[in-house]
Amino acid sequence: MNKNSHEWRIHILAFVLTMIAELIGTKRFDLGFTAFSLFPMLYVLIFGGIMGAAKVLPKEMMEEASPFIGISVLLLTAKVGSTIGPNLGNVIKAGPALLLQEFGNLGTAVFAMPIAILVFHMGRACIGSSFSNSREGSLAVVASRYGLDSEEGMGVMGSYITGTVLGTLFYGIMVSALAPTGIFHPYALAMACGTGSASMMSASLGAVIDAFPTMAEELTAYAATSNMLTSVDGLYMSLFIALPMCEWMYKKLTANNKHYKDGVPVGKAEKKGEE
Amino acid sequence: MKKTDWAVYLRVLCFSAVFAAIGNWISTMKSGAPVTPLQAVPGMILLLVITILGQLIWEGINKVSKKNLPAIAYISLIAIILTIPGFPGAEFTAASINKIGLLPLCTPILAYAGISLGKDLDTFKKQGAAIVAISLFAFLGTFIGSAVIAQLILKLTGVI
Repeated sequence: MNKNSHEWRIHILAFVLTMIAELIGTKRFDLGFTAFSLFPMLYVLIFGGIMGAAKVLPKEMMEEASPFIGISVLLLTAKVGSTIGPNLGNVIKAGPALLLQEFGNLGTAVFAMPIAILVFHMGRACIGSSFSNSREGSLAVVASRYGLDSEEGMGVMGSYITGTVLGTLFYGIMVSALAPTGIFHPYALAMACGTGSASMMSASLGAVIDAFPTMAEELTAYAATSNMLTSVDGLYMSLFIALPMCEWMYKKLTANNKHYKDGVPVGKAEKKGEE
Repeated sequence: MKKTDWAVYLRVLCFSAVFAAIGNWISTMKSGAPVTPLQAVPGMILLLVITILGQLIWEGINKVSKKNLPAIAYISLIAIILTIPGFPGAEFTAASINKIGLLPLCTPILAYAGISLGKDLDTFKKQGAAIVAISLFAFLGTFIGSAVIAQLILKLTGVI
């Protein structure tokens, strides 16, 4: 190993951070109308960020650690895959509505991409933020396609943090507001709850059941099946449909847009040249 | 990959697995059903083998063809096949890996991410607010998108 390498320091620090975070453990906050939790994986990110901001870590060490994310996330991909196999039989049994509403998950891009580009004039970070609901599997997808220290990687990391901190809170409030309006049948709402994250599903489903308490059992079954389906198709949907779709939208929306030049936001064009 | 790259690759994988196994022990202890690192060994070895196998397939295809899927597609596919009921040892494979929680497995990954985060903080500061806003629109989008399609299909098939 290279003598000047920081590798051992990185592993030791990662170990220490992991242990401290796990010892603190998950903290749940109940706000009465909704609840949210903070997880160890969020603490390690914050600890690292603080150390980086405080300039405790040398820049070379931060740069050397970056590709390690993309390697370690592969174990997670294997873990997620192992939860799919046992469920494949259930996928075949799910009805047409449950199967087809999976394509509704592409709504992330449909809703978020135009606003990201036309309102916020964001760079390619918006692709990482918009192609999915940015759960663990999405980190792996972006890590392997673009690398996590790319613009897209920054987008998915930012959304991952947002979802981890605000996801359950957001879904709880949004669905409690939407459910009583009667726009959607309770079954449709329940199926929409399965977005591939157990905690987000629980928050949304809680709000639907709260509005239609007599149907609790069917609603739970629909939501859980939809969530299981998303965990099965999520990775492949992201790779083959959602990401190409986001790339296409980015190209179309930034062409002939005065805030962009050659697909780069005008204000940032200079900085890009330095890299 | 070059030999030195493989060495780094394997070290990062193995360390992540060990850190996650100990983290998993602490986390499961808190929830009252502890899984010791020793009990996590078969699951971890399976995860490592699946990952390395997927990487090797990716490398192999890369050598003969320019068209290739990312390694995660192969890793995921191998994990799926090995755990489909009826595949030899599927039950053991699924049960062993199941002993390792999803969240403790994420912590070491995010620890590496945290260590490298410092160099991107400026960009994060500049784009942070927009990313948070866009994330929430994406969350809204996946829910509404699924609800609209589900509503239509349920109506068309006469369920509601």
